[in-house]
Amino acid sequence: MIEVKDVSKRFIDKKRHVTALNHVSFTVEKGQIVGLLGENGAGKTTLLRAIATLLSIDEGNILVDGYDTVKNPEKIKTKMGVLFGGETGLYDRLTARENLKYFAALYGMSKHETKVRIDELSRMFGMRDFLDRKVKGFSKGMRQKLSISRSIIHDPEIILFDEPTTGLDITASNVFRQLVHQLKQQDKTIIFSSHIMEEVSMLCDSVAMIHKGEIVYHGMLEDLYAEEDSRDLNYIFMSKLVRGDGDYAS
Amino acid sequence: MLRKVYFKELKDAFRDQRTLLLTVLIPIIMMTGLVLFYEFTFFSSSEGEEYDLAISEGIGDEERTVFQEHENINLIEFADPVDAVIEGEAQAAVIFEANFFDKLDTHETTEVTIYGDTFSRNSSNLIQEVTLALATFERAVVLERLLAEGIDHEIIVPFTIEQSEISEESMPLNLLAMLVPLMLILAIGIGASPSASDLFAGEKERKTMEALLMTPVKRSTLLIGKWLAITTIGAVIGIITLLVVLLEIQFFTEHLLSAFQETENMFLIFAMIALIAIAYAVFSAAILMLTSIAAKTVKESQSYSTPVMMIAIVPAMLTQTMGVHEFNLFHYSVPILNFFTINKELLLGIINIEHILIVIGTNLLAGIILFAICRMMFMKDKWVMD
Repeated sequence: MIEVKDVSKRFIDKKRHVTALNHVSFTVEKGQIVGLLGENGAGKTTLLRAIATLLSIDEGNILVDGYDTVKNPEKIKTKMGVLFGGETGLYDRLTARENLKYFAALYGMSKHETKVRIDELSRMFGMRDFLDRKVKGFSKGMRQKLSISRSIIHDPEIILFDEPTTGLDITASNVFRQLVHQLKQQDKTIIFSSHIMEEVSMLCDSVAMIHKGEIVYHGMLEDLYAEEDSRDLNYIFMSKLVRGDGDYAS
Repeated sequence: MLRKVYFKELKDAFRDQRTLLLTVLIPIIMMTGLVLFYEFTFFSSSEGEEYDLAISEGIGDEERTVFQEHENINLIEFADPVDAVIEGEAQAAVIFEANFFDKLDTHETTEVTIYGDTFSRNSSNLIQEVTLALATFERAVVLERLLAEGIDHEIIVPFTIEQSEISEESMPLNLLAMLVPLMLILAIGIGASPSASDLFAGEKERKTMEALLMTPVKRSTLLIGKWLAITTIGAVIGIITLLVVLLEIQFFTEHLLSAFQETENMFLIFAMIALIAIAYAVFSAAILMLTSIAAKTVKESQSYSTPVMMIAIVPAMLTQTMGVHEFNLFHYSVPILNFFTINKELLLGIINIEHILIVIGTNLLAGIILFAICRMMFMKDKWVMD
C-alpha cells in the first residue's frame, strides 16, 4: 500500500521558484494498478521519484507498506522496482545477462536466486536469443524488455513505471502491456504515468490526474466513467483539467 | 557490495575502447614521441657536424685563416652573404669591414659582423663557433701587440676565474626529471578522464544513475566503488607509462640511457615513482569524480576536466627552473606541484623517505578531502538527478 499525504516539493529553476508538487494526497491499495495522468511538466515524474525515495520532499510524507520514504528508504527500495522511460537504465558495454546479474547483486540476491530469476524473466520476455549479447546494438524492443526485467529482477511487490511506452513502437508497447497483465495476476501494486489514454483505460483499475503539481482527480476508473457519463478518457481528462483550472484553455 | 560495484565499473570501463586506447596506446605513442624528441633534439651533440658560413666574394686569404682551425666550418662565398642566410643557403654569415687587416696593422678600430638566426639550433652553433674563432684571433692580435711593446701578456690577466659545480644535476637528467612527471601526470589525467566522466555524468545521461540509486546499496558505497575504479585505471595507466619510458630509454636511446645509468638504484627509484603515481591517481580520481558529478553530460564533464588537467603545466615549468636544493616543505606539500618536485629529486638519485611520505600523505589527504566534497554532492538530489 502506498499513502501519499499532503506532499509538496519545490525547486529553484533558473533563479525561479517552481512548485512541482502542491499538497498532493492519494492512496494506492495493494494489488491496484493506478494510471498517473498529466501533461508534460505536470509533476508526474517528480511524484514518482519522491515515492521511489529518489527525491526528498519539502512537506508531508509518503508511506510505502508503512515505511516512510525519508526515514526508511532502504526498506522501501527492496520492495520497489522502478523504470523511468521505456528503455533506460542499461549498461551498453555489458551483456543483457551481466546487466541483470549486476542489479541482482546490488539487490543482495544470491547466485542461485539470480540464475532462477534470470531464467524466469528470459522465458517471460523471450530474451534467450540475446541474453549473452552486449546491449549496444539492441533494438528498442529488446532494450525495453531488458529494462523492464532489470527493474523487476528482485521480484518487487510495488512497481513504478514512468512513461514506459514513450517513443516505443507498437510491438514494444504491446510487450509492456502484456507484462502489466502478468504482474496484475501476481497481485503486484503498480503506478505508471502516461499520457496515452487507451493504455491507461486498458490496464488500470484507478487513475490519478495531476495538473500543475496538484491532484485534480483520484478514483476508480469505472466510477469516473459513471460520474462523467462517458468512456472517453481523453475527453474526461481534458474536461477535468478545464474544471480544475479555469485558465487552462488560455 | 563494494567489491561488486568496483569490479563491475572496471569491467565496464575496460570494455570501453576509449579507455583501452588511452590506457595502452596513448602512453606508448606519447612516450615514444617525447623520449625520441628529447633524445635527438636536446641531447644530440653538434660534434662532427659541419656548417656553411657565408662570406663575401673575393675575400682575402688572411680572413680565411681566422677559421682554418675550425674544420667543421665550410666557407662559401656569396655576392650577398646576409641574403644567403635568409635564403637558407648558409647557417650564418660573417662580414669583415673593408681593409680589415690593414686597419689592424695600423692599430685602427675595425669591425666584424656575424649574421645568424639564434632561433635555429644549427645557426646558433655556427655563431658560437665563429665567435670562438674570432675571439681566439683577437687574443692572438693582442698578444702580438703586447709583445711588440715588450709587455708581459699576463698584465691583461690579473686573475683567473674558476667555477665549481655543487649540483649533481646534469642537463640530460634535469630534462628527464621534467619529462617523466609531466608525461605521467598527463597520462593519468587523460587516461582516467573518460571513465570518470562516464561513471557519473554518463550514468546521469543514460539514466542508469536512477536505476542504481533505486537499489538498496548506500550512496557512499557506490561512490567509493566508483572512486576506486577511477583510481585503478589512473594507476594502471601511470604504471604502463612508466614501464614504456623505462623500456624505451633502455632500448631506443643512447644519451638518455647514459644519463639514466649515472644514477644509482634506478629501479628502486622507478618503484618509488610508481608508488607516488598511485597516490597521485587517488587524488586525480577525486578531482575527476568531482567534475563528473558536477556535470549533467559526459561532454560537460570533459569540458570541466580538461582545463583542470592542464594546470599540471604550471608546476612543470616552475620546478624546471629550480634546483633540488631550493625545494622546501611547501614544494613537497602541494599536490601536483609536489609530484614534480619529488620526481625531480628521485630522478637525480636522491631518495629522501621523509619527502616521499609527505608527498604520498598530502596526495591521499587531498584525495580524501575532495572525496568528502564529492560525497556531500552525491547525497543531494540536485547533483544526481538530471
